[in-house]
Amino acid sequence: MKDDSTSPVKGTSLWRDAMRRLLRNRLAVFGLIVLVFISVSVIVGPAVIEATTGYTYDYIPADNELVKAMAPSLKHPMGTDEAGRDILARVLQGGRISLLVGIISTLVSLIVGVSYGAIAGFLGGRIDNLMMRIVDILYAIPYILIVVVLLAVFGGTNSPEWIKWLTKLIGAEGNQGISQILLLFFALGLVSWLTMARVVRGQILSLKNEEFVLAARASGVSNVGIIFRHLIPNALGPVIVYATLTVPSVMLAEAFLSFLGLGVQAPYASWGSLASAGIKNIAIFPWQLIFPGLTMALTLFSLNFLGDGLRDALDPQTRKF
Amino acid sequence: MLGFILKRLLLIIPMALIAVSVTWALIRVAPGTFYSSEKKIPAAVEAKLREKYGLDDPWYKQYGIMLSNIARGDFGISLKYEGQPVNEIIARHLPYSAVIGLLAYLLALAIGLVAGTIAALRQNSAFDYASMAAAMLGLSVPNFVLGPLLVLVFSFWLYLLPPARWGGFTSLILPVVTLAAIYAAYIARLTRAGLLEVMRSDYIRTARAKGLSERSVILRHALRGGLLPVVSFTGPALAALLAGTVVVEKVFAIPGLGNIFIQSVLNRDEPLVLGIVAFISVLVMIFNLIVDIAYGFIDPRIRYE
Amino acid sequence: MNRSVGKILSFSLIAALLFSVLSCSRVDSGNYFGRTVPPDDNVLRYVSGAEPESFDPHISSGQPEARIYMALFDGLVENDPKTLLPIPAIAKSWQISSNVDVFVFKLRDNAKWSDGTPISANDFVYSFRRGFDAETLSRTASLGYFIRYSEDFNNGDVFVKKDGRFLLEHEVNGTEPYTVNAFGPETEFAKFINGPTRLTLPGDEKERAKLFEKDEKLRMAVDGAEFVPVSAEDIGVEAVDDMTLRLTLRQSAPFFLGLLAHQFFRPVPRHIVEKHGRDWTKPENIVTNGAFKVKHHRPYDELFVIKNENYWDAENVHLDGIKFYPIDENATILNLYKGGAIDAFLNHSVPASWIDEVRQYKDEYLDHPENATAYYSMNITKPPFDDVRVRRAFQMSVDRDALSNYRKVTKPLYDLTPAGIFPDYDKARAMVSEEMRVEKKKTPEEWAKYNRFDPAEARRLLGEAGFPVEGSEGNFACPKFPTDSVSLTFNTNENNRMVAEFMQAQWKRHLGITVSLKSQEFRTFLKDRNDLQYTGLAQSLWSGDYMDPFTFLGLHYGRQNDGGSGFADKEYDRMLDEANSELDFQKRYEKLARAEAYVMDKLPVVTLSIYATNWLKKPYVKGMYPNPGTLHPWKFVYIEKDPAKWDRNVDNIMAESNPRTTAQLEELKRTMTQN
Repeated sequence: MKDDSTSPVKGTSLWRDAMRRLLRNRLAVFGLIVLVFISVSVIVGPAVIEATTGYTYDYIPADNELVKAMAPSLKHPMGTDEAGRDILARVLQGGRISLLVGIISTLVSLIVGVSYGAIAGFLGGRIDNLMMRIVDILYAIPYILIVVVLLAVFGGTNSPEWIKWLTKLIGAEGNQGISQILLLFFALGLVSWLTMARVVRGQILSLKNEEFVLAARASGVSNVGIIFRHLIPNALGPVIVYATLTVPSVMLAEAFLSFLGLGVQAPYASWGSLASAGIKNIAIFPWQLIFPGLTMALTLFSLNFLGDGLRDALDPQTRKF
Repeated sequence: MLGFILKRLLLIIPMALIAVSVTWALIRVAPGTFYSSEKKIPAAVEAKLREKYGLDDPWYKQYGIMLSNIARGDFGISLKYEGQPVNEIIARHLPYSAVIGLLAYLLALAIGLVAGTIAALRQNSAFDYASMAAAMLGLSVPNFVLGPLLVLVFSFWLYLLPPARWGGFTSLILPVVTLAAIYAAYIARLTRAGLLEVMRSDYIRTARAKGLSERSVILRHALRGGLLPVVSFTGPALAALLAGTVVVEKVFAIPGLGNIFIQSVLNRDEPLVLGIVAFISVLVMIFNLIVDIAYGFIDPRIRYE
Repeated sequence: MNRSVGKILSFSLIAALLFSVLSCSRVDSGNYFGRTVPPDDNVLRYVSGAEPESFDPHISSGQPEARIYMALFDGLVENDPKTLLPIPAIAKSWQISSNVDVFVFKLRDNAKWSDGTPISANDFVYSFRRGFDAETLSRTASLGYFIRYSEDFNNGDVFVKKDGRFLLEHEVNGTEPYTVNAFGPETEFAKFINGPTRLTLPGDEKERAKLFEKDEKLRMAVDGAEFVPVSAEDIGVEAVDDMTLRLTLRQSAPFFLGLLAHQFFRPVPRHIVEKHGRDWTKPENIVTNGAFKVKHHRPYDELFVIKNENYWDAENVHLDGIKFYPIDENATILNLYKGGAIDAFLNHSVPASWIDEVRQYKDEYLDHPENATAYYSMNITKPPFDDVRVRRAFQMSVDRDALSNYRKVTKPLYDLTPAGIFPDYDKARAMVSEEMRVEKKKTPEEWAKYNRFDPAEARRLLGEAGFPVEGSEGNFACPKFPTDSVSLTFNTNENNRMVAEFMQAQWKRHLGITVSLKSQEFRTFLKDRNDLQYTGLAQSLWSGDYMDPFTFLGLHYGRQNDGGSGFADKEYDRMLDEANSELDFQKRYEKLARAEAYVMDKLPVVTLSIYATNWLKKPYVKGMYPNPGTLHPWKFVYIEKDPAKWDRNVDNIMAESNPRTTAQLEELKRTMTQN
């Protein structure tokens, strides 16, 4: 690693090398394939279902006989909920929201959390102290209150055009209900980077006195260069693992906020809200938990395999494959 | 070192005040009041209520009163629960959360550390895959699903444990396990990642080269460095656990602080919210301070100036 | 708490596990739901909902508290366990004036507080005055405004004194003087309170000035007058002697006696309140006069009340105590019930998806008519719902039978007042409805659909209002309708969400309009609804406070009402006032029904459903009934240890006669007819 770091030409081959190693990791490839499959299903699935069976995530059958929880069948591979809505359609639509929640929060956590933690850890002293105390304060402020206030201030009828535009990306009509989801993304992003910052800072503190940092400094690399070229790549293992851990935790946080009425708006669903509705009926309509739960678990597993693969692939000293 | 600790301890007070102030402002902006209900209350009663709690005073006056109360360590009386001092409420409900949180964390630590260490040492072995898959399962089953599932199995299929409510050791098992699952998974994964990172560092190579047994390489050297991420994670996690976890408290009807905190926010019970925020912020900062101190012991490379 | 922590730590893991295996062995439950074993002690375990706010009956308005107050405080009258009609409590008998505006109560001479202090009429006078005192901060004081001058006192209004005498309302307003006919013993106070209504003005000077600006005549009339605050002593509550209490109302209110069982009218102990101030409700201070008294209170965990030996009817209290558990998570409540850890729980706590499952345990599942309605308020102050045609279109495009089928226990609601709760009123309403039909020249077929389910008519109305509906069945669209400025707001709760989703689908199907849903946490929702800040529709639920249609019709009465629609109509108010001053029972109902027809013509609401009770009790819990308010007078409740006497295949628990309860009721009502 230390050798690589002083010769940026080789650095590009490091990434190609990593890619090659990643593709040789069967579990990681499996994870990647599943994630791609789920993403594609979530994007095109709802349209396909509507075309074939006429069901959408919010379609309640006109025939009263069909307005009830029905076990899985050919028409409804995942069964229906008490309103007779197709759970598959709801799982696919819920996937859009859950995946977006996961992706956005992880990106925030990676971009903000990692740089923040690295800078604090590297600079140390007063600046580190100040930056970490800000994190401490943010920990203590109840984020539910933040969400309540965000919704009250921005969640009104007159949401700006760009919010409406973004909501269309999620696949819903641009009405006011959904802008709540964006606020939710924002609020979850706001808190998701805090622990990441602490984790990274801890790593950097322990790495910054290593010889390779001294060597880099001696050869005139700037602070920014040291942090982003040398320190962060060496702390990548825990970072990737923690990032893959962030996804489930924000998905759950979303489910909890939905439970309080601060999350995704009915009739939209998320995997978390589907699972929390399903668990209540586990003893009578088990399919309502099993299918959303399995989809979510499969996604998280795949993500994790991919994360581990990435970690191993980016680690120049692990040459097991 | 002592100076460092002292400085950080002194910092806690202004930090908590900042957290409380921000929260105070947020409550002011949040819509609704503690007394709103489906039935409109008589206008004169509303006026008296607002007068009694000084809700129509200028904001700086209200803020000043709030600060001076807190400076005296008195968070006042709950607005929603007539006549109950906030300090009393916190003191009364903290022990429930603390017992469950602490037990859950210890359980999680035990399981997570062992599983994570073995997995790291036998990277890509069957145990590694199995334990990491189990950890992933722990992470991907939300606690609001795990709790009721455990109740179904242990209370209604096996008739072993009570389904909810506080009362005796047996009633603690399900909530503690529910709570511990996700933390055990976190710790296992962080331990494994941290250890893998450390195992290839120079000092481990040196230790091995010195001819130390693998056992002492791991216990004396690798674990110390590999635990850093776990330690970083522990500070806020432990603080959050001690201060209560809403979902588990709700599922098992435990009178812990977490549920009360959420309720107080939803009820706009300002003194109670502020009291708990102040408490949590102090808790977080103390735990983070301990973590920072622990860094120095675990990894001698970390120094505080 | 400390004790239990210590206990926990002292238990070893193995011992505990062994213990649990032994103590919770599987119990064969037969045709009952889950574990069915009566508690060893004679203590009922009841889940009461959210944590009680306060034990002061004047303070909280909540449902959980109402159940608790019924155990702790005995009022003048109590609710009949089945019918909720007033039965004697501290008052052993009463007389009512022919105008139904004066009530004279004879109190029992053996009624005591739990500390042994006797209860006299003065305790009630004190309590009523305290309740109406704005300083008490009672959230429910408006329920009692029928008592003369109590609203003025509560509002801090003033009488106007000019040239040594008080100005009277009719002198200034030019209306007919209103006086109360003397009833009962003649006293100095009676002369004042029965006299013509005095003029009252706002106590606040600025408010008064505003009033004068608008009303020159009024300003002239009170010019140079002195303003005397309406005091506690001025309200229509009087202790004629130690055991006689007289209440004087500002108007006839035939339903007022039933209202007196409400928590607001239950007395508080003067000697304790004055000694401890606001701390009087602390468990170590509180003194009660009900069948039970507080043993201990562990907030968010348990309120334990035990039998009050000083209660006047203590020999007829069957339970040794009640444990109230504050739990509001439905799944947890159901688990505790199934596990046999509780004996009964609060209404509306069985999730809809579970109803078909628990319904098979018919001796436990209680699904009976309820004095409660669900409706959507429409904000009539904002377009497009300021147009009655739009409102009617929304009302008439909802298939309420389908909604009831989906909700499983509710019934369709087509008016403000639920059908099936007040049979005589239903008759009056049918009669008025027929009159209306003739008046509006509609055929019976047309009339049967009016304000009900007629999507074609709904679409026509919408088109008439300028929002033509295009397309054909299954594919309607209403492109001109401003969907962006209409939403359906509700507070977060699984039931509300389910109904909202269903309603959204109904309007989408029948009108081609997608109303977006807006789920809000409670406080935000309340602000939006009460301040009419919502756009479109808002969820409303109303549980009647007493057994009279007026509890529903009054929702839209007056300028500041709880209807949530912004509806205020002088004509409607006049019709209701007139109805309430009608003394003939049936004629009054007819007048009320006309008022209801009037408001349904203006239609500030989309009616949804009549609620049904939805809770469980173990078959060994007796004397506890699913009455229309799920209010339980606890002294009738007992635990039957003998399995042979448990409820088994009871068809209708409300029709079944329980000799023990019946005898107890008979004995109580005996005093009622003595004079």
